[in-house]
Parts: sequence; structure tokens; C-alpha cells
Amino acid sequence: MSYSREDVKAITDNVLNMAKADAVEVRFSGGERSATRYANSTITANLVEHDQEVLITVYYGQKSATTSTHQFDDTSLKSAIEQAQELAKRRPDNPELMPPVAPPQDYLPIDGALQAAVDFGPAERARLVKQSVDVCEKKGVLGAGYIPKLHWTDALANSAGLFAYYRYAEASFILTCRTPDGTGSGWAGTTGLKDVSRIDAAAISEIAADKALKSRRPRALEPGNYTVILEPRPAARFLSLMLFSLNARAAEEGRSFMSGAERGATKLGQKIFGDNVTIRSDVGNTVLRQTPIGPDGLGARPITWIEKGVVKNLFYDRYWAQKQQKPFTPTNPQQSLVMDGGTATVEQMVKSTRRGLLVTFFWYIRPVDQMTLLNTGMTRDGMFLIENGEIVGPVQNFRWNDGPARGFNNITMLGTPVPMHIGEAYDNPGTALVPAMKIEDFKMTSISPAV
Amino acid sequence: MALGEAKRLGCSYADIRFTRNRAQSIGVRNGLILRGGGGFGGGDATETYGFGVRVIHGGVWGFASSPLVTPAEITRVASVAVDVARASAVATKRDVQLAPVPAYDQFWQVEIEKDPWSVPLEEKVEHLRSVTSTMQKNASVLFAVASMSFEHEWKYLATSEGSFIEQVCHFADCVAEATARTGTQVKTRSFERLGGAGYEFLLKADLPGQAERIAAEAVEHSMAKPVERGLKDLVLMPSHLALTIHEIVAHATELDRIAGYEANYAGTSFVKIADVGKLKYGSKLFNVTADRTFPTGMATVGFDDDGVKAQKWPLVKDGILVGLQTNRETAHLVGEKESRGCTFANHWRNYPFLRMPNVQLEAGPKGSPNVDQMIADVKDGVLVDGMGSFSIDQQRYNGQFGGDAFWEIKNGKKTRMVSDFTYNAITTDFWANLDAVGPQETWEHHGLTGDAKGQPVQSNHPSHGSAPCLIRKIMVGAAYA
Repeated sequence: MSYSREDVKAITDNVLNMAKADAVEVRFSGGERSATRYANSTITANLVEHDQEVLITVYYGQKSATTSTHQFDDTSLKSAIEQAQELAKRRPDNPELMPPVAPPQDYLPIDGALQAAVDFGPAERARLVKQSVDVCEKKGVLGAGYIPKLHWTDALANSAGLFAYYRYAEASFILTCRTPDGTGSGWAGTTGLKDVSRIDAAAISEIAADKALKSRRPRALEPGNYTVILEPRPAARFLSLMLFSLNARAAEEGRSFMSGAERGATKLGQKIFGDNVTIRSDVGNTVLRQTPIGPDGLGARPITWIEKGVVKNLFYDRYWAQKQQKPFTPTNPQQSLVMDGGTATVEQMVKSTRRGLLVTFFWYIRPVDQMTLLNTGMTRDGMFLIENGEIVGPVQNFRWNDGPARGFNNITMLGTPVPMHIGEAYDNPGTALVPAMKIEDFKMTSISPAV
Repeated sequence: MALGEAKRLGCSYADIRFTRNRAQSIGVRNGLILRGGGGFGGGDATETYGFGVRVIHGGVWGFASSPLVTPAEITRVASVAVDVARASAVATKRDVQLAPVPAYDQFWQVEIEKDPWSVPLEEKVEHLRSVTSTMQKNASVLFAVASMSFEHEWKYLATSEGSFIEQVCHFADCVAEATARTGTQVKTRSFERLGGAGYEFLLKADLPGQAERIAAEAVEHSMAKPVERGLKDLVLMPSHLALTIHEIVAHATELDRIAGYEANYAGTSFVKIADVGKLKYGSKLFNVTADRTFPTGMATVGFDDDGVKAQKWPLVKDGILVGLQTNRETAHLVGEKESRGCTFANHWRNYPFLRMPNVQLEAGPKGSPNVDQMIADVKDGVLVDGMGSFSIDQQRYNGQFGGDAFWEIKNGKKTRMVSDFTYNAITTDFWANLDAVGPQETWEHHGLTGDAKGQPVQSNHPSHGSAPCLIRKIMVGAAYA
């Protein structure tokens, strides 16, 4: 199901014409989410989901309320509008309420919906599964994979005349291979690709299968501090752990890692990470092709959050910016996220390591202490000991307790950034460009025989 | 219509599931309404209605869904589901096998005393404001947050095997939370209760009655010294154990995980099919029951999304693993002829698959020690309340858990709050060290949200009950070393 600009404009115009209030905002989202999932080298789920929704927010002075509906006939829209109107009028004033964003907003032109991705259907996905399973069978491993596709449209319109529209289509290919005896497991994948021709199912399957075979019968190492080489997937998860701290309000309210020692102070301008850490929202990036629409419908712009380890910007939403008399930030930290890399390959990182660990995957990361960015998590799906520049064998998984506050001060090598999802699951937009990274002195605190 | 179209197209099985979910959530922060509010709805007031069609064609699943509930769309979506199944055939090696189930034509609903939608918005807002106002009377509290969320779910399932099942569920969630900062130490103390119930559940939870204590404990926690690292005895409250049971018992005994279906995301399990009847999961005091019938349970239903009647069965008896969670698709893997009824989807849009029921740790026998008696029996330990940081490996073996509030126990006395607490659990070792389980009168039931599994990921909300437990010699504080 595809929603053109004209389709969506007609829907939002209809709501705006029907709703009477001081101001009205309509957020549209809709499209197709589909996926093929397989396990034990056979398809276990294959689906095509269609959904559509409008969120309707009405404003009366400093009062507002939001309702939603998935049906766009006049009766359903009228019911949602009237419910929002009634809720809003009965609400107490909210002094933090900001009026809808006024036009014009300048949105960077981004083509996020290439036709091949739009057309990427169950038959294409099944063919990729077949390619993958053929590799798995040749290698003697069991494949468990996931091929999600999104063809989605997001739009925002308001009674001030703003209309923002972004349609995109993307797919991922993610695979875990396990040995039949259950002693080896390997992961490989690529996510958030607008250009689906970049999905090489056979190559990904070769990597995951080889990792599974090489990780059989791992030996236990003592917990302790290790040099780690994080491949792009664990690097992306590690990067995600500092994004919430970029929120200016949390920092100035004294409840985040970016809070200063004194109430109201932040670490803006301070050097908190190593010289080799630069983190940006590169709106308009031609690989990511992500939305040009910023928070509340603002025209998003490229912004540098961390430059050579120094905090250059924090995210100010419109209310907090007004309260603190600072400019608002038109870009969310998660938007078009890029961590600058280097030129090292993972192989070069391995060769440069006297003793360390090559890490394929991080799992079940949860915060332990937000103020210090201390987190815990597990390694998974292939971890290997490096000695004197060579991979010498598989090792049992570790639980780690560490975080970017230490880790991003201990990076000694960076690879070329590649697309990789930063979230635990892969379903929503969340792919960033992330490099593999070599981090010294990483805290592994206990072992697990889990494979 | 959908079933007819599926039959016409040659499907061996088909079902259509309609759901309508209505949600309301309200949040207040320092007396001001929060936009959105969180909770089930994630918005002020949401409503979603639609249907999903599931078929087996050529031995392969296909699923499609839509919010456009019209005859033409139902026929179209049924044919899409068949197309999807057909496309899968080139890469499928085994036919889906479904355990038999009787046909039902029934209506089932959660009984509630007070419909949340009958309570005026103003009354709800004032209720929450009274909670934040009480917490803010403590001058050291930076932020006071209170919220309530409600969901009403109507579901209708029709299957090609002759079942027609209509169900109505209600869910309630309420939270009070205070954040305090002393120096650079920021701590939040929370009180949350969730249940499959109506507005009466929120009133019984008594947020206003908890507010002063929550605020005081947030402040004390922000001033607390770190716990000493080392092996300690733990007295764990039911509000904490709900998450531990969830992570290292409930997930580990899901048969689809054991069979490898979740290998690419949620993971597998250290439990093997052959372990049933043999694996020593814990001490003799460790008895665990799966229960879809428990009143106010968040995973309580009349029937699952395969149309299997809700039931109750043992998972662990006297410390030995005796059962697993199954559904129609997986029952044959353990040689069972009937499903345990664990198939669910969290939304009309999503496909149903194996999700956990309420998983309960049974209370100890009459005369078992209560919390005070457990504390009196501990020389060096920690009392843990509420849920906090939690992480577990992909086979549910190595877990690290925090909590919401912690008190040092020295020589049989609860002394002071401590901070920087986590403990590490190797699942079977942890439950082997279970030395006391409180009696029935101390048993509580706690709901969870955000249980992620499946691809596309779906968030489930089960409940887990227990009495307070005493676990001996557990490593604490390692995360902060």
C-alpha cells in the first residue's frame, strides 16, 4: 500500500477542514510492513501488514489533547476529532505546550523510496532465504534469519499551513547460524538499506555460518579488562547508549550524564571523549536517505553533537529552548546518525592486538547507572580470542559492565562506517553509519556458557 | 468471507482475528499534565481496529492484516495471506503441524467492578495531582511523576475448524515515581501496579497512600552509600521477583525458544526438551506454575489466539522441571497431543506466535517464614524491592539484576538503605540456593509490560506472582566494581 503526497494531503486536509479549534495538528503514518522469518533453515513466518493512522491534536490556548484513528472515513475522523476536542477542553492548562510549527519549513529533498525497495516482496524475500539456506546446508549449520521490509509514509500537517511529507522503503537481512550440536553460533547482517541491491544474502550467510563453525566448543577465559574489537553491530549498540544524554533538558535538570556538577550546568563545550570520537546527525546523507523532517515538523538540518570528543551541541526541544532562551534544535540525535570512522579494517585491528577479543554481537544491554552511562550486556553469537595479532580460538561469552563514558575515551582504531541498526530489534527506522572500533580496557565481569 | 476465500484457494487451515483496542493514558509531572503519558496507549486516547488473516497453504504459514474492515478488503487480505504462503514454499522444508483443538462457540470476558472510561477525566487528573503534590512536599524531591493507563480489548476469532470465540479484556496500570538528587547522585523510587482489571485495581493500589513513603525513600536512596561487594543472602520481595521469574524461568521454558525459532532475536534456552522430568531447576522449595486463568493476571484469557482454552499446569515441581509452554504448532515437538494455549498476537496487525502465560512461583507451606523472619535469619544480606536494571544472556543462564530499592541486613536486622546494588545469577545455581519461600498470605501478583519477542518484535504483558523469597550466597555489587 503506497500513500502519495496527494493521497496524504487529501486526508490531512479533510481533518483540518473538519476540526474546529485554536489550532490543529495532524500526524499521518501508514504503509506496508512485511517480513519473512526463518529458523532451523525453514520459513516460520511470512507476512504482509498494512496499517494507517492519523493522530489528531487540537489546541485551545494552553490546553490540548490527542486522539487517533486508523479508519479515514468521515464518521471515524469526526469521532476522533470530537473526542480530542472534548478531552482538550476539560484539561488543565499546560504551560509547556508550544503552538504548532509555522510554515515555511525548508525540507532537504531526499528520495527515500527507491522502486526496487518498494517492490521488494515475499517472493524476493523467499529467494534470499533459499540462497541463505543453501549456504547453511552446504556448511552444515542451521540458519535463523529475518528479512524485514518497510514501505512507509510519515507526514505532518497543521492549521498554520504546514505540510511535511516523507516516504521511504528499506529492507534488512539478518542471520544467526547455529551448529546442530548447539556449541557454535554466528551472526551477520545488514540493516536499513534503501538500495536493496546491496543485500548479498549468500555473502552474509557465509560469514554467519563460518562464525558459527569457528565458535564451536569455546573455552572459558577469566573475567577482567580486555582489549575488544567491536564489529559494527555491537559498535552500533554501544553508540546508542549515549544518545539520550544529549537531551538538554535532562542535562540541565541534573538527571543525565551530560549534567554538570552544579545544578543547571551541563558538559556542553567540555571534552568528554577521545579525539577520535565525532558523532553527527548528517541529514541528507546519501546512503541513509533518512527523513528530512525534524521534531514537531521542523526542517531538519545537519548538526554535530560530539566533535573530536568535545560536546558541541545538546538537543533543545522548542519548549525547553524558549524557557532557557536558547535556540531550538531542529534535528533529533537519532536522525541520520553518523559516527565518523577511520581507515582500519577489522583484520588490521586484529593484527595490531597483542591480546584481546573480537566481538560479533552485544545482547540485552540495559542501563545500570544513567548518570555515568554505566550499562551491562552480554556478548553473543561468536567471540574470539586474539593473541599476538592472530585469532587463536573461540571463547565463552562474557557479561560486561561498562559504557561510552569509559569506552569512547579508550578507542584506538576505527573502521569505515557502515549501515547498522542501533536498536535491539530491527523493525523501526534506526540505522546509523557506524564503524567497527577497537576499545582498550573493556570490563568483562562474568562468563556465561550460553551459546 | 476470509475463511471461504482461503478454502477456495486451497488452504488446509485459516483463521481471521478482529481486535479493537481502546487505550487511555494520563501522566502528571510535578502537577503538570504530560503530553502522551505513556502506558499501554502511549498517547492521550488511542483506538485501533482491524483484522489479521492467517492461513496454512501447502504446509506453510501466510499472514496479512489491514485496518480497513470491509468485505472487499477482507477478501483481498485473505488472498494476500495465501500469496505470501505460496511464495514461501520455495524455501520451506517442513509442513506446519497443528495439535488438534475442539471447536468452541463462546464469549468470555474479564470481570471488572468499575469501567475506567466511566470515571471523569478531571477525577483522574486530580487523583494523580494529589500523588505528585504529596511527593513534592518533600523538598528534596526534584521530580514527582504519577500516571495511569487503561486498555480495553475486544477480540473475535473465527477458524476454519469451526471455532467462533469473542473475548473482552481490561488492563490497568498505575505508577508513582519520585526522583531525588544529592550531590551528583540521582535516584528514582517507583511504585507500579499492573493488572487485568478495571478502575478498582487502581484504587486498591492506593497511589496517594504510597506517595509520602516513595518520596522519602527516593531521598534516602540518593544519600545512600554503595553496598559492599561480595556474597550475600538476599531477601527478595514479590515486586522484584516478578522480573527475575520472568527472565530466568518463564522465558527459559518457552518451547519455541528451545526449538530454535527465536535464535535470531530473543534467543534459545539452556533448557533442552530432554530435560523435562530430569533437570534440577532449583531447591525442593521451588514450585512454578503456568496459569492463564488467574484473576487479574495480565496474560489471563479465556482462549488463546489458536482458539485453545486457557489452562493451568506445572512447570517446576519440587525443584524439578516437569513442563514447558506450548502452542498448537509446537506441542508435537514434546510428544504432546494438545496445546497448552500459548499463542498470542499483541495487535490485529501482528501475527500470533508463542507467548508466555502468567508464570507463578508457588507460596511456601503454612508456617513458612515471613519477611521479618527471613531478615532475622540473615547475618549479612540485602532486602530488595521493586524492579530495576536487568539483563540476561540469550539462553537465560547468566542474569544480572538490580532493583528499585535496597536495604542492608546485618545480624538479623534491616539497617539502612544502600545504593549501587546488582546481583548476578546463574539460573539453576540461583534457584538451588532458594532457602525460604513465604506463606500464601504474603504471596503477591505483579504485572509487567514491554516483554519483547518475535520478528517483527511484539511487546507482551504477562504477570508473575510469588511470595517473598530468601536466596543464600549470591554475588552482589559486581557491576560497579
